[in-house]
Amino acid sequence: MAAVLPARPGWRLHHIVVAAGAIAFLAWCADGVNLRPKEMAGALPVIGEYFARMWPPKWEFSAVLWKPALETLYIALWGNVIALFIGLPLGLCAAGNVVKSLAVRSAAKAILNLLRSISELIWAVFFVAAVGLGPFPGALALGVNFGGILGRLYAEALENIDPGPVEALTATGAGRLQVIAYAMLPQALPQFVTYNLYWFEVGVRSATVLGMVGAGGIGFELVTTIRLFEWRECGVVLLLILAMVTVIDLASTYIRGRIYGS
Amino acid sequence: MVLEIKGLSKTYPGAAQPALSDVSISVPAGQFLVILGPSGAGKSSLMRCINRLVEPSSGEVVFQKTRITKADLRAVRRQFGMVFQQFNLVKRLSVLTNVLTGRLGYRSVLRSLFYSFPESDKRIAFECLARVNMEHKAFQRADTLSGGEQQRVAIARALAQEPKVILADEPVASLDPKIARQVLGYLRQVAKELGITVLCNLHQVDYAREFGERIVGMSRGSVVFDGAAGDLNEDVLRKIYYDNVTAG
Repeated sequence: MAAVLPARPGWRLHHIVVAAGAIAFLAWCADGVNLRPKEMAGALPVIGEYFARMWPPKWEFSAVLWKPALETLYIALWGNVIALFIGLPLGLCAAGNVVKSLAVRSAAKAILNLLRSISELIWAVFFVAAVGLGPFPGALALGVNFGGILGRLYAEALENIDPGPVEALTATGAGRLQVIAYAMLPQALPQFVTYNLYWFEVGVRSATVLGMVGAGGIGFELVTTIRLFEWRECGVVLLLILAMVTVIDLASTYIRGRIYGS
Repeated sequence: MVLEIKGLSKTYPGAAQPALSDVSISVPAGQFLVILGPSGAGKSSLMRCINRLVEPSSGEVVFQKTRITKADLRAVRRQFGMVFQQFNLVKRLSVLTNVLTGRLGYRSVLRSLFYSFPESDKRIAFECLARVNMEHKAFQRADTLSGGEQQRVAIARALAQEPKVILADEPVASLDPKIARQVLGYLRQVAKELGITVLCNLHQVDYAREFGERIVGMSRGSVVFDGAAGDLNEDVLRKIYYDNVTAG
C-alpha cells in the first residue's frame, strides 16, 4: 500500500520576489566591481605567464627562507595566545548566560566589534609604528584582531551550552564564578580548542602577508622577490607557504578529529 | 515540620494561566513525599520556587522555622539537594568532580576555581558515591556512564551537599522501568539512612503508589489531592489527570 504523501508546499510569491531581488542586487553589484568576463578571460594567460616564470624553482633559495618561515609560525602561535588572553575575558563578558547586565555585555561586544572590524594588516601598520619592525608587532596585530574574532566565537559557544548543569550547580548553592568554572567552561572548552586550532591555521596564512608592512615573517621575502622580479625565488616562497599551510591543516584536522571522536 | 509551603503562587511573565496557584503543603522531617501530576501541572515550578531557582509571585516557604528569603540564598540552597530528569551532570568532568561540585556551596570561590578541594570533601564525595554503589567509577568521565548510573551519581552529588531535603524533579522520566525502580530504590534507601526528607515529582501512578509515603496530587497549578498512597483511587486519579481536559 503506497501511502498518500501530503502535497509539498509550493513556491509562493514572496519566495520568487526574494529570489528575483537577490539576483538583481548581485547584478547591480557586478557593475560596481566592473565585472567584465571578457577581460577576465584575457587575464588568465597573463597570470599563467607569471607562474611559468617561476619554473623551475630556485631551490637553493630555501636556505635563507627557513628562518623567516619559522618566524611566521611563531607569529601565528603567539598571535593566538594573545588572542586567547584578549578574547576569553571579553567573550565571557559578552555571553548572555554568563553576564546578566546588558550594559556590560554591550560594552564587551562593542570592544570585540572594534578589534574585529579592523583587519590584522591595518593593526600591523599601527603596531609597527608603535613598537618598531619585526615579528613582535605582527604577533600583536594578529592577537588583537583574532582576539576580537575568537571572543565572539567563545561567547557563542558559551551561549550554546546545555543549561541543565548550570541550573544543577546553581541549586547546590555554588556561587556565580563557581558555576562558570564548573558547569560552563568545561562544556565550552572543546569548542574553544577547536576555534583556536582553526585560527592558528588562519594565523599562519595571515602571518605570510604581515611581512609586507614590516611585521616579520616570510611575507617580507615574498614581497622582496616580487619587487626584484626574482620569479624563481618567488616560486620557492609560494611553495613553502603552501607546504606549511597544508601540514598545519592536516595536523589540526587530526587533532580536532581526536577531540570530537572521544 | 521541616518544610512549610504557604499559599505559594507563580505566574510567569506573559503567561495567561498561573503555573502555581495558592499551593500549601507541610512536610514533616524524613517523609518521602511524591508530588504526582501530568506534565504542566506545576510540579517543577513548585520545586524551583522552594530553592528560589524561580522567584515566586506570592506566598512563602518556611524551612526549619525560618522563612526563605532572597538574602543568603547560598546557605539555603546548600540544604536542598536537587535531582533532575536529565541528570544534569557536567559530562566532560569525572564522576568524582561532579560529586565534589555538591561541596561548592561550602567552599571559598578562590580555591575552588583551581579545582582544588580539601581532603575532607573528597572523603564525603567517596562516601556519597559508595551509598549509591558508584565508587568504582569515581575517576571515569561522567559521559561514559549509562543513564541509570548518571542519575545515581547525581543523587551522590545531592548527598554531598549534606542536605536536609532532596528535591527530585521527575528523576526517572528518562529511564526504563527496571532502572527507574532501581534509582527510586536508591533514593528511598539513602534518604531513610540519612534522615533526609524527599520531595519527588513523578507522573507515573504506579511508581507513586510504590514509593510515596504520602502523595500530593497536582493539576493545573493547584493541589487536588493530599493523602496516603492507599487513598489514591480512580476518582482522585481522574481529578489529577483528566479534569483539566474538560475544564479549561
